Amino acid sequence: MHSDPTPSTRLSARAAIGPAALPRRARRFAFASPLEEIRDEMDRLWSEFTSSAPAAWGPVLDWAYTPDGGRPLPAGAAGFPAVNMGETPEAIFVEMELPGVNAADLDVSVAGDELVIKGRRHSLEEPAETTAGERATWLRRERGTGDFERRIELPVAVDPAQVEAKLCDGVLTLSCRKAAECQPHKIAIRS
Amino acid sequence: MTTETVSPETAPAEKAARATFRPNVDITDFGTEVVIHADLPGARRDGIDVTFEDGVLSLAADVPPRDVPGTAIRREYGVGDYRRSFRLGEGFDASRITADYRDGVLTMKVPRLAAVLPRKISVTAG
Repeated sequence: MHSDPTPSTRLSARAAIGPAALPRRARRFAFASPLEEIRDEMDRLWSEFTSSAPAAWGPVLDWAYTPDGGRPLPAGAAGFPAVNMGETPEAIFVEMELPGVNAADLDVSVAGDELVIKGRRHSLEEPAETTAGERATWLRRERGTGDFERRIELPVAVDPAQVEAKLCDGVLTLSCRKAAECQPHKIAIRS
Repeated sequence: MTTETVSPETAPAEKAARATFRPNVDITDFGTEVVIHADLPGARRDGIDVTFEDGVLSLAADVPPRDVPGTAIRREYGVGDYRRSFRLGEGFDASRITADYRDGVLTMKVPRLAAVLPRKISVTAG
């Protein structure tokens, strides 16, 4: 009866027009929506991915304890290494973070008001054959290696003979005495 | 002449504002062990804490506060403690984990248990 179908008939009729009730091939023609196809495929891949990830990935699944969003990349907008600088009336203080760089691989030079930092961070041992005969693999590579050079403009000229450099625990600290003509001069006032 | 009272201690609000950073790492799986290198510039050897519990390797490094002397005229990075955890899963020998800190880099070696390593079975003719 058209006017009064049984509940079961109504249910099956509704299901027939929904996507789930139709076979995959029929749906393609019924809706002709490539976007929907892609979305379904993505859903399928995602569920496969998430269900298999913990076992297969191992150490890759780390979580970060980073309430503030994490540390910026080593090579920031201004270049590597990042620089902090302070100034007193007599001197300029420069500090840089250079983890994994030996003093022997670091070259610091000063000319006038330009400070040049050159160096190299050696790459780690490349993954070689493991003892089990399988190839070792990188699971994370965030640190970066290679040569770097950065020219930093100082606010005033400094005396190249009076630059002290210290490298400790991956932090390079420079104290640069300002050039004589840039030092504050006390003017004696005659009465 | 007037005297000003200056508190020698850092204000609590200033202390709380110190950031915690997530260090950059390189992780290599050598089969017999997993090696993690972490950049921890400014940390002290005795301020680094590495723990392994329930398949999770955690590193925490307390960094002594430091700042360039004088007026700051350029500030491209912040100084703070380091925290990061890695879910390694089962099959590691916690008693043989080593951690070595040098030149601002922490190297952690996490050996796998011998029982979980693949074993090559030679086929004999019979």
